[in-house]
Amino acid sequence: MAEMPVAEKAGILGETRKPSVAQMLVYELRVRDAMTQAVVTASPADSLQWIQHLMKTHRISGVPIVKNSMLVGVVSIEDIINALDQGHISDPAERWMTRELVTLRDHFSLVRAVAEFDQHGFGRFPVLNRNGELVGIITQGDVTVCLMHHLEKRAEETTAREAALLAGQTHGVEGTKSVVVRARVKAGDYDEAGKVSQRMRQILRERGIDPGIQRRAAIVAYEAETNLIIHSIGGDLSAAIAPDKVVIEAVDHGPGIEKMDLAMQEGWSTAGPLARELGFGAGMGLPNMKKCSDIFEIHSEMGAGTRLRSEIVLRKAAASPPKQENKP
Amino acid sequence: MKVERPTKLSAVIAAVKAEPLTNRAEADLAGCYISDLLSDVLAHARPGVLWLTIQTHRNVVSCATTKDIGAVLITCERKPEAEVIAEAEANNVILLSTPLSTFEAAAKLWEAGLR
Repeated sequence: MAEMPVAEKAGILGETRKPSVAQMLVYELRVRDAMTQAVVTASPADSLQWIQHLMKTHRISGVPIVKNSMLVGVVSIEDIINALDQGHISDPAERWMTRELVTLRDHFSLVRAVAEFDQHGFGRFPVLNRNGELVGIITQGDVTVCLMHHLEKRAEETTAREAALLAGQTHGVEGTKSVVVRARVKAGDYDEAGKVSQRMRQILRERGIDPGIQRRAAIVAYEAETNLIIHSIGGDLSAAIAPDKVVIEAVDHGPGIEKMDLAMQEGWSTAGPLARELGFGAGMGLPNMKKCSDIFEIHSEMGAGTRLRSEIVLRKAAASPPKQENKP
Repeated sequence: MKVERPTKLSAVIAAVKAEPLTNRAEADLAGCYISDLLSDVLAHARPGVLWLTIQTHRNVVSCATTKDIGAVLITCERKPEAEVIAEAEANNVILLSTPLSTFEAAAKLWEAGLR
């Protein structure tokens, strides 16, 4: 009996690790992208009858009650049904509205919104801005519509890209052009560490580079950046992303690495007390960068500075087709 | 290849009475790594693991992002600043805090089956 082809097995296993476009979108999109902005509201003194009328005309199932632009409660269609049932439909909203509210903030990711819907089982959440003012309302339907809309947009973009590729207009098409990410790195600026590696990683991710290779490149860039912050008097970091490789370069103007042979050994570090307190100075940076690189070069001169260059191959076969050897 | 059974994030939270500092969905953790040295984590932690540390600086988030760490458990009741938590949220890094020491937390996690 024939066994399942190995490649197919790998494909199935690989599928569970790779997030779908929808999964990525849920993380990227914010509550403010999906919520309904024009919210119909009522004041605490309005009667439930009036709110029932609002629900009917606007075809909505919940009305936030607002006082001085702050949210104080919500009247849901369930409250209206109860009011009709128990005969208090002409009472003011404040007597029967739900006061203990679960709200979302407009900067929350949609994944958080989905989790809150799951956890609380509510049909809608009022959305507040950073100042705690009501800015919108979000329903599970809003989340779905927003996702569908963005998925459609992504699909259109992909189709356009494929069409451009087919037409041979590869120049300037995302994924085929070279991009350089660069930053000036200041000595001692621990709060800025990781900006270049993050940006570079994003581009590699968008280009569908193998996650393991992405990670190696990110480690090299991050270690190079922290090295400039910890050890140099300041320098420049760049990551040149070509279709087939990334070249990461870190150049500083001093002071230089005194004992290169020691610096390349695991566990050797000259990091100061502040750096150590923040978790740097393990003495693993340079050796690990070398391990993560396909080509690694470092030159340093005391008083002049250090120049580091790391090359990471992204795609072995696809980018550079084997040259035709025409030996005479 | 040896396939180990991953431990659920919720099981970890229960085992060390952790307080989730960021929003989190259920996740699988592929093991554990303990270190307070960032370069050591970058060099030796496997992606998808639970990382135990006492560090709270924002470089923890950068490091976790770079290495695709599954979740970060900050021990000894230490908590990062609000901006660090916000950055973790923005980068989908799960941060947890436990009152236990690193040693106590590790023992509880081992008992809970994390390997």
